[in-house]
Amino acid sequence: MRRKASLVLLAVAVFCAAMSPLLRWYAFPRLVKIPPNQYQDAVLEAKNPTLIDYGTMKAKKVPKVTIVQTLKGNVEASERIEKNDGDSSRDVVVWDALSYVQDAEGKMVSKIPERYIFDAHSQEPVHATGEMVDGDPVKREGIEFKWPFLTEKRDYEYFDAQARITRPIHYKGTQDFRGVRVYYFEQTIPWTKVPFPKTMPVKGITPESLAKTGTTRWYTTVRKFWVDPTTGAPVYGEEIQRNELRGGTLLGGRDKVTVFAGHVKMREDYIKSTVDLVKSQRVLVLLMTSYLPWGLLGLGVLLLALALWLEARSRRPGDPAPTAAAEPEPQPANA
Amino acid sequence: MRALIAAATGLAVAFALVLTITAIGAPSGETSPKPLLTTVPKHP
Repeated sequence: MRRKASLVLLAVAVFCAAMSPLLRWYAFPRLVKIPPNQYQDAVLEAKNPTLIDYGTMKAKKVPKVTIVQTLKGNVEASERIEKNDGDSSRDVVVWDALSYVQDAEGKMVSKIPERYIFDAHSQEPVHATGEMVDGDPVKREGIEFKWPFLTEKRDYEYFDAQARITRPIHYKGTQDFRGVRVYYFEQTIPWTKVPFPKTMPVKGITPESLAKTGTTRWYTTVRKFWVDPTTGAPVYGEEIQRNELRGGTLLGGRDKVTVFAGHVKMREDYIKSTVDLVKSQRVLVLLMTSYLPWGLLGLGVLLLALALWLEARSRRPGDPAPTAAAEPEPQPANA
Repeated sequence: MRALIAAATGLAVAFALVLTITAIGAPSGETSPKPLLTTVPKHP
């Protein structure tokens, strides 16, 4: 009986010990990924920013500018790309995004649509037809919106949608953000000439009509992200951004006019909901990367020790052999 | 010999389980019917 039990324990011990690395290095990269049907919105605000009045072409202080950012997973598009992709094992996510900016009166300031296509697990960009920013085809390098799972303490390449360029976003240290241990990243985009948005807030003004005046749009930003390293999800973000119009006949002899200058921060209720969401999601990731692998390994070692102990007890000299009672020694016929 | 068979059984079950789970994967779901927002939501 003891031998049977020790063999069962040995099988379970090997099962647990094998599951540990299999979960961490085989199942984790295949199972933990961004779902293709994710829908998420975020509201960011800039208090007392400077904003251009296109009627007078003068910059003025306004009480508030609000940015509504929506990310919507396009399942049909991702399935289509996966079908045409050479690497059939790769799961692709397609995010249709919109950054909608409005002033304190609710009037549209700008709206920039994007299509971001990436590997569901590694966050590597995937290049396919439809990848764009504001209708312009782009070929992203680096990450955007989210970091990879198990984010490392290093610089990453981050795509800037306004400038359509990729620049490093630097790891600047580990911090505690509302009970979550986060990595702080910062990126500076120096003054860069950028295209005009396709949708302008005033009727009659188009990117083409602006281009004819010789006026150009310039942009600089300092982008700050506080990222949960387990899920790679930013729990908070800020941006100190400046936009200017420079040169041309549109400015009436002035060198430049500020289009927007402000410090954009995530709205308080969205910070809370993002932190709560990340806290719940990080448990699932930790289950696959830490809790289950280490727990199963520990259990495997424990069960192996138990199996060996049972086996040793069953073989100990002095103990009656388990089969002795059932099968008595044969006696000589003449005894 | 019996110990070897027991260990091989445990190993085979672990591989079979993980391979099955990863082969099944997670369902894709459907694209959300919610629109890309052009108004400021009152709350998350």
